[in-house]
Amino acid sequence: MRIGADIGGTFTDIVLVNDEDGSLRLGKVLTTPARPDDAVIAGLQEVVDGAAEQVEHLVHGTTLITNALIERKGALTALITTKGFRDAVEIGREHRYDMYDLRLRRPEQIARRRHRFEIAERTLSDGSIRQAPDQAEIRAVAARLRDLGIEAVAVCLINSYLNPTHERQVGEVLRRELPGLPITLSSDIAPEIREFERSSTALCNVYVKKIAEQYLGRLEARTQEALHADARLFVMQSNGGLLTAGQAVEAPIRLVESGPAAGALAAAHYGAGLGLEDVLSFDMGGTTAKACLIVDGEPLLAPEFEVDRQYQFKKGSGLPVKVPVIEMIEIGTGGGSIARIDSLGRLKVGPQSAGSVPGPVCYGAGGHQPTVTDADLLLGYLNPDFFLGGDMTLDRASAEAAVAGKIGEPLGLGVLDAAWGIHQLANESMASAARIHAIERGREISRFPMFAFGGAGPVHAYGVARILQLPRIVYPFAAGVMSAIGFLTAPLAFDFVRSHPVRMESADWSSVNALLAEMEDEGRARLAEAISEARIGFRRTADMRYRKQGFDISVPMPEGPLGPESVPVIVAAFERVYEQLYGHTIPDTPIDIMSWRVLASGPKPDLKLPEGAASHGDARKGARRIHLPGEGLVGVPVYDRYLLAAGERLEGPAIVEERESTVVINGPGEIRVDDHRNLIVDLEAIR
Amino acid sequence: MTTKALDPITLDIMWGRMIATVNEQAAALMRSSFTSIVRDAGDLSACVFDRRGRMVAQAVTGSPGHINSMATGMAHIVEEFPIDSLRPGDVIITNDPWITVSQLHDITIATPVFHKGRAVALFANCCHALDIGGRGLSADARSIFEEGLFLPIMKLHEAGEPVQPIYKMIEKNVRTPEEVIGDIHAQIIANEVGARQLRSFLEEFDLDDIEAVSEAIIERSEGAMRRALADLPDGRHEFGLTLDGFRSPIEICCAVRIAGEEIIVDYSGTSPTVELGINVGFNYTVAYTTYGVKCAIAPEVPNNAGSFLPIRTVAPQGCILNAQPPAAVAGRHTVGHFLPSAIMGALSGILPDKVMAPGADSLWNTHIAGHDARDGAYFSYTWFSTGGTGALRGQDGLSATSYPSGVAGVPAEIIEALTPLVVRQRSLRPDSGGAGENRGGLGQIMEIEVRTERPYLFSGLYERCAHPAPGLDGGQAGATGAVETSNGETVEPKISRMLPPDTVVTLHIPGGGGFGDPAKRSGEAIREDIADGYVTPEGARDDYGSGAG
Repeated sequence: MRIGADIGGTFTDIVLVNDEDGSLRLGKVLTTPARPDDAVIAGLQEVVDGAAEQVEHLVHGTTLITNALIERKGALTALITTKGFRDAVEIGREHRYDMYDLRLRRPEQIARRRHRFEIAERTLSDGSIRQAPDQAEIRAVAARLRDLGIEAVAVCLINSYLNPTHERQVGEVLRRELPGLPITLSSDIAPEIREFERSSTALCNVYVKKIAEQYLGRLEARTQEALHADARLFVMQSNGGLLTAGQAVEAPIRLVESGPAAGALAAAHYGAGLGLEDVLSFDMGGTTAKACLIVDGEPLLAPEFEVDRQYQFKKGSGLPVKVPVIEMIEIGTGGGSIARIDSLGRLKVGPQSAGSVPGPVCYGAGGHQPTVTDADLLLGYLNPDFFLGGDMTLDRASAEAAVAGKIGEPLGLGVLDAAWGIHQLANESMASAARIHAIERGREISRFPMFAFGGAGPVHAYGVARILQLPRIVYPFAAGVMSAIGFLTAPLAFDFVRSHPVRMESADWSSVNALLAEMEDEGRARLAEAISEARIGFRRTADMRYRKQGFDISVPMPEGPLGPESVPVIVAAFERVYEQLYGHTIPDTPIDIMSWRVLASGPKPDLKLPEGAASHGDARKGARRIHLPGEGLVGVPVYDRYLLAAGERLEGPAIVEERESTVVINGPGEIRVDDHRNLIVDLEAIR
Repeated sequence: MTTKALDPITLDIMWGRMIATVNEQAAALMRSSFTSIVRDAGDLSACVFDRRGRMVAQAVTGSPGHINSMATGMAHIVEEFPIDSLRPGDVIITNDPWITVSQLHDITIATPVFHKGRAVALFANCCHALDIGGRGLSADARSIFEEGLFLPIMKLHEAGEPVQPIYKMIEKNVRTPEEVIGDIHAQIIANEVGARQLRSFLEEFDLDDIEAVSEAIIERSEGAMRRALADLPDGRHEFGLTLDGFRSPIEICCAVRIAGEEIIVDYSGTSPTVELGINVGFNYTVAYTTYGVKCAIAPEVPNNAGSFLPIRTVAPQGCILNAQPPAAVAGRHTVGHFLPSAIMGALSGILPDKVMAPGADSLWNTHIAGHDARDGAYFSYTWFSTGGTGALRGQDGLSATSYPSGVAGVPAEIIEALTPLVVRQRSLRPDSGGAGENRGGLGQIMEIEVRTERPYLFSGLYERCAHPAPGLDGGQAGATGAVETSNGETVEPKISRMLPPDTVVTLHIPGGGGFGDPAKRSGEAIREDIADGYVTPEGARDDYGSGAG
């Protein structure tokens, strides 16, 4: 038995899976923000129900790291860098992330200028050493750090991505002089070119190290206390793999954004169960929507992420962090997104959000700005008496007044047309974000079936899928705990990267092979803590580019030792990926490999999807009038999700209500309930 | 479909789709470009135009000089090649500085989009070529003929077939043909990405063309800009900026007149054209003028042909802001980048909470070429560096940040990986931000060594070495810039020269102007600045008096 635990803003979800019969036990407890582990333990005790001894491990994802960075609750942090580069991390990319906003701001520095120190040393751009660091100077800096009460230190020296010798020397002296002080070397955490991004990553990592150590240490101890002494704690990384708690403490920055990543993993897992290799995962919640492309059964990865964005959805406004992440596009469209009229008389939806407090107008908690949820209510998509399974009643009259007054009247539209406009524009912005994302990754979005979850996902999925002309939508059962389920589908995994630029035509393959072997050995050693060697698999990729291009693309590398005979295979692989991304290749241009990566992973746990039970009653609850495009309000059947039996078939338009969400099919489409109680809507016929 | 048939929601949806097409176009260009200036610095623009050559939407990236000059440049392209004379597979190229971006390095590629057998739109993008022959990116030339290869408006592809002689001509006239041609390919692909999206949009909405949408977008944007202007009191406001120029200083005289729903920016009185390549084509003057007006008055109004209509720019022919052929213009940004500051200075009396004090404004361009000591190979590299921006009421200026240009800097490690240069220092420049209740942003110090055994070409385009960025509302000026060498060699801020191999050059890039009386700056802000070394104790005494710290 295994347990997954996901801490959300309001609820902490706990899922216990019995791998023998595939049964799931779900728990939901209120999140305890001051000590998040309290809720985890409480939820764990709720689902365990006497079977504590049989639980092997707890898999956990946490937003603690992201929050500590955003709220600046980390350690008093210093940076040590090469003489002349004290300000590289503050100078950053020198650009403005918004062209017209004269008052834009940059994120606050993790290490203030007064806490950034230089030492005389220099490695050149071919990895050769021009000047070695002086031990006495490092000791002097260490003494200053001690005097200043510095609690954590990052070291980022110029060109250390090619040759980490000096950083290691500095690290050794610091460890000697300041025992116990958390230290992160940039060449350990992100050995990649670009000094600003690399130092930013090292700083963010060391800044939250103490917090991660304390929290994960406590959680592991309490888990063992609640289960048994051998129970292990695994932590979800942003790349979709798991780390042991001990490894996570060394590289806590790898835990950013692991919750949403788990949702994508769950989508990949369900997709595989349905025989779908490519899936568009679509998760729409209260404030944002997230989309992720799953290709060949794996979520696409990106090499970089930004934390603490000053403009939530603006690239370049945050602190860059170079860790592999499941690539998620997030846009400011959720149930709580506010609709307004801008100075040009245009209807705009989001990114401002009413949040959960005061929330949409219809929550009756003081909100007076019309939101997407208010529009969905007026369109008949939501049942005012069955919101959150009836725990909350929605106030239709105030929603109507707000939508009419703030949107309908200024635009000269009736209240229903205004609400439909809000719903449509929300769908449009989500669809175009997903489409751009697919184009950036060289994919044709209309091939991807959609996997819809999150509180508002099932309400909007049909509309978004129609805009994108997708073939099919899957509404999974237990959509409310997708992230927790995703944790249980993740393998243990560790990824490594080494910067080692190589010209394809003149590569020294023996050094490349040595490098790959070194990374594989390290992966084997790390994973051996938890899995037997025979079950460890490796995946190699390389970051490649046409010579003098600045963007690398990730290319799969052949297995086994590489040599001159591998060149045509590697070139063909590169051209395949390049063509996929950009639609063309560039003939007669030399190719370089910049960095080498190895992903070492254990086997993927075989999480069985729960089987559907036979129907125990008539699922049809009644009918309600909902807005259908081009037709207006029309009565459609309403079904109870929990009473739909495997194999049942329905016809859209229809509404299917469940506790955490509502499936809205506001147009034609064949709906069927599969063996795992997923709803599958076929749109192929009406594309 | 006519404009009347477009209900407001449908228009909003279509408008969103138009913007999506150009964002996709820009993303494609940025990711496949060969040149770090495009890729890392974002020096590009991507736009869609209607049948009349009016800009309907632009990507949210790039720099205003590019975007706005291309916006006006398209009219000339459709004049040369009337839209209905174009065929599917045609691709148009030009770098004509007088009708596009006022510099031979900036190559525009335009591609018509066909739908139901008829040209319905043009996608165009512009990016900075790594090289264009001539004297390189310097102000050395005395006329445009010395500045490189001039590509008049021509078809680079005809009905899908590349016109090989043009490619060959480009190849033989630039120093880095691989990159330059590679970028042209990337530009062509980017337009195709946009075009593909546009066609599927037209099909989905069952439209014959984008005319009705374009009309509505332009009309609404124009209306919004007019309303914003109408809210301001009528009147005339002047501001003057003095630049270093070449042999003698350049005076930028800027008179802004608000009259009802219109604004007229008149540069009469500005210094005449100079013999060096820092003259500005009128298109570029208009580009930075409309940008400056929009930043101060209506930043939220979308940038398209409509929002430009109520803004009139006047610059007498022959003044440095309306240079005539064959004036040299390669370094036109050196002067053009100051226009938003001039406009904000003029508007500071009526919009004190909106304007920003002048900053370093002009990017510092450095171009170095020579031979690598390790293998003797020729190299040539250009990058931009930024100084401090000016302060605003209630907010300090940003240090080492580009404004008004939108480009980003290049990391030292990238410079070192691609060239034999060694970046020995890159740090903020203490005391360079102008004092004020709100302090100007700091400039930076950059120290460059070349690993070479032969003399190398050093070519800078640097401003504000003699005339600092003034403050506003009682704020003080930022620090002026300077260029130093390790061996006493003299480098003039706008003249290229060969330097001995061991010369290490240090750039001191200017800071931004302050805003408001320095005496009103809080003691705490001054103490924090000193603790972080943004201001030295001596600097604080000079600027803020004995009460400081």
